[in-house]
Amino acid sequence: MHDGHLLEIRDLTKRFGGVVAVNRCSLILTPGKIYGLIGPNGSGKTTLFNCITGLERRDTGEVFFRGERIDGLKPHQVARRGIGRTFQIIRVFPELTALENLLVVTREPFEVAHRRAQELLRFVTLDGLEKEYAGNLSYGQQKLLEFIRVLMRDPELILLDEPAAGVNRTLLNDLLAAITRLRDQGKTILIVEHDMKVVMGLCERIFVLDYGEKIAEGPPAAIQGDARVVEAYFGR
Amino acid sequence: MNVIITPVMVGQVIISGLLAGALYSMVALGLSLIYGVMRVINIAHGTLLMLGAYTTFWWFRLLGINPYLSLLVALPLMFFVGMVLQRTLVTRVVDAPELSSLLLTFGISIALVNVAQLTFTSDVRSVEFLTGAFLVGPFALSKSRLVSFAFAVTISLLAFWFLQKTKLGKAIRATSQSSEVAMVCGINVRRIHLYAFGIASALASAGGSLVAVMVAIQPEMGQVYTFKSFLVIVLGGAGNYPGALLGGMLLGLVEQLASLFLTTQLSEAVAYVLLVLVLLLRPTGLLGGRAK
Amino acid sequence: MKWAIGVAFVIGLFLLALYPVVATGYGIRFMLQLFMWVALAQSWNLISGLTGYVSFGHVAFFGTGAYAAGILVTKHGWHWGAASLVGGVAAVILALVIGYPCLRLKGPYFAIAMLGLNEVMRVLVSYFEGLTGGGSGLSLPTLHASGQIYYAMGVAALAATGVAHLIITSRVGLRFMTIREDEIAAEAMGINTARYRLYAFLLSAFVPGVVGGLFARDQGYIEPISVFPLLTTVTMIVMVLFGGKGTIWGPVLGAVTLFVFQELVWARFLYLHQILFGAIIVVVVLLMPKGILGILQDRYRLPRTV
Repeated sequence: MHDGHLLEIRDLTKRFGGVVAVNRCSLILTPGKIYGLIGPNGSGKTTLFNCITGLERRDTGEVFFRGERIDGLKPHQVARRGIGRTFQIIRVFPELTALENLLVVTREPFEVAHRRAQELLRFVTLDGLEKEYAGNLSYGQQKLLEFIRVLMRDPELILLDEPAAGVNRTLLNDLLAAITRLRDQGKTILIVEHDMKVVMGLCERIFVLDYGEKIAEGPPAAIQGDARVVEAYFGR
Repeated sequence: MNVIITPVMVGQVIISGLLAGALYSMVALGLSLIYGVMRVINIAHGTLLMLGAYTTFWWFRLLGINPYLSLLVALPLMFFVGMVLQRTLVTRVVDAPELSSLLLTFGISIALVNVAQLTFTSDVRSVEFLTGAFLVGPFALSKSRLVSFAFAVTISLLAFWFLQKTKLGKAIRATSQSSEVAMVCGINVRRIHLYAFGIASALASAGGSLVAVMVAIQPEMGQVYTFKSFLVIVLGGAGNYPGALLGGMLLGLVEQLASLFLTTQLSEAVAYVLLVLVLLLRPTGLLGGRAK
Repeated sequence: MKWAIGVAFVIGLFLLALYPVVATGYGIRFMLQLFMWVALAQSWNLISGLTGYVSFGHVAFFGTGAYAAGILVTKHGWHWGAASLVGGVAAVILALVIGYPCLRLKGPYFAIAMLGLNEVMRVLVSYFEGLTGGGSGLSLPTLHASGQIYYAMGVAALAATGVAHLIITSRVGLRFMTIREDEIAAEAMGINTARYRLYAFLLSAFVPGVVGGLFARDQGYIEPISVFPLLTTVTMIVMVLFGGKGTIWGPVLGAVTLFVFQELVWARFLYLHQILFGAIIVVVVLLMPKGILGILQDRYRLPRTV
């Protein structure tokens, strides 16, 4: 069942009342790659994330992480198994300082955690702001903070929900460089994104959702030429 | 406990339960409106009921006319009071985290209850108007309960007709579904909040006017009705208006049934245990409302 | 600067310790009650200020402690000190029984459930009349121990503040706060929010239980309405909100300010005083949600852990 697959989703379906948000979706992630998850608005991308991380309960289907079945686990249990995620709308802890935002998520001894947090803050050049309340940081700074907060637990699989949204070019380049470095360190990353340049430039393999169904998957070149994908985005 | 339970007793209990339930439904509908439209948890709901009860009391004391006629005065008065509260205080916490509205309405409730203590004194009041019961077969139907049932049902149906058929009512329902969409459709959401709170306040006070004839009136009487209204909402589903009606009936029935088997004191605790149970097992309500 | 405050603090404690020697009976009882409110406010802050789960029924723990201790003293001849500690344990047990199911509920539902707790406790106490004396109350054997209770309450207040300090300056406290800040994010980061909520709740029940036991001894007589009044919960809430929820010294500030005002200004006007409390809650929620200490923190850039 493991077969070197890091994450395996089988036939996942999630309904909200009468609406099918995710429709018999299956995909496989192998370690050490950057994957993209794209699709028009409302195609179920964030719902899929939520089902993987335990925030939503799927109706049918299974999710396997490193061979272990994780659907049905609580979010904190999923996180502890090595999956980290960011959110579409930034969810930092506003009344905690930047440093505290990082320290709170790990149970390692204070010294270790503190050193790690400082490193990460330096990594994204936020190190002057560690004592600032996260709620007072700018949008871009909060985005970076949320990003490194995920890294505090050193997850194997990182789910990023629209990391490029609302971010200026310079910051974006830093972010993309950071993601590439993570991949080089052996991490696996799955990105939901609307910015096609980012997706096509960064991702090695892309999944396309439309109305909750996976309609295409493949390397960027294949996706760009895929008629179904074009139709999903531009014509119906 | 060796009590032989006859079918007549059960029948009596069911009737009493339904009679009481209609009142709970009407009052809870108000609470549901406030939550549905504004996502505000109105802990002061029972306090509004209390104000309605006192309006009826003073009407009867000062004018000596049929206390049920006081509804004509109490309803518009409390509608207005509700709007004032909304406009000055509640509107500021509509977009805030729910914690704020909890604390705010809690504060309002405490303040108003004690204003009542000061102005009306804590002497227990009552309205002696309709006593006795009609005897229908083996069943005794308390006159005041019957009249209150009739009024509660009428007012609730009126409220429903209003929500379903009138333009404002539909706007209210639209806002309950989604205030963003409502705004886009040109609905003045702030105005809707105002009216919704006013209507809810009127519904609560109507409940007060009706119970004024049946129970002891004192400033703290509202608390238990706040709690029961929450229970009804939880039973019927938050924001589910028809659910509030059924939930009320259900509560009335359960209460009366419980009083058959338990002492009156313990049957009060039944409402509480019921609340916790339902919240744990079916948080979206027995009829399914919006989850939280 | 810091050591100057530290020294002042120690001197203050010293003076408070010596106070009973020079004070009148009234003075001792005044301070004793002040300590009690500090302890209660700190405890309420632990659950409601830190995790954001508002406990509207917190007085239930106070009353439970009062009755547990009262019963041990009257029916089994225990010393009030040990009895009060057991009162604290009884309160924690109640918190476990209530908390385990209720804390699974979302914030607003939890608040509503706690709102009804008051009533249930009163009903239960009346029901178990044989044990609790029901409506006619429980009379403790006469004992003049104001002085000793003064110290006991003082210790309780100090302990509650000490625990608050330990928690708010530690990662445990940070985790409590993530529940208030963003539960979903906290869960996604691996924090078991359900468990931490329960810890906070249990912790917040202990001191009120102990203090309830001490109160019972001090009053010499308790009845349901005297140990389960809504006013006690309201007072706890006002004190913490006014002083500054989520901070270490906010509850102390709130307790001292409001208690002093209450005793000196409006104690004789019971209803006016409650109207004022209601009004203060409204004002704080609308205008100064972070309380006095919060305003000071913003103005003078004080650290979060003040």
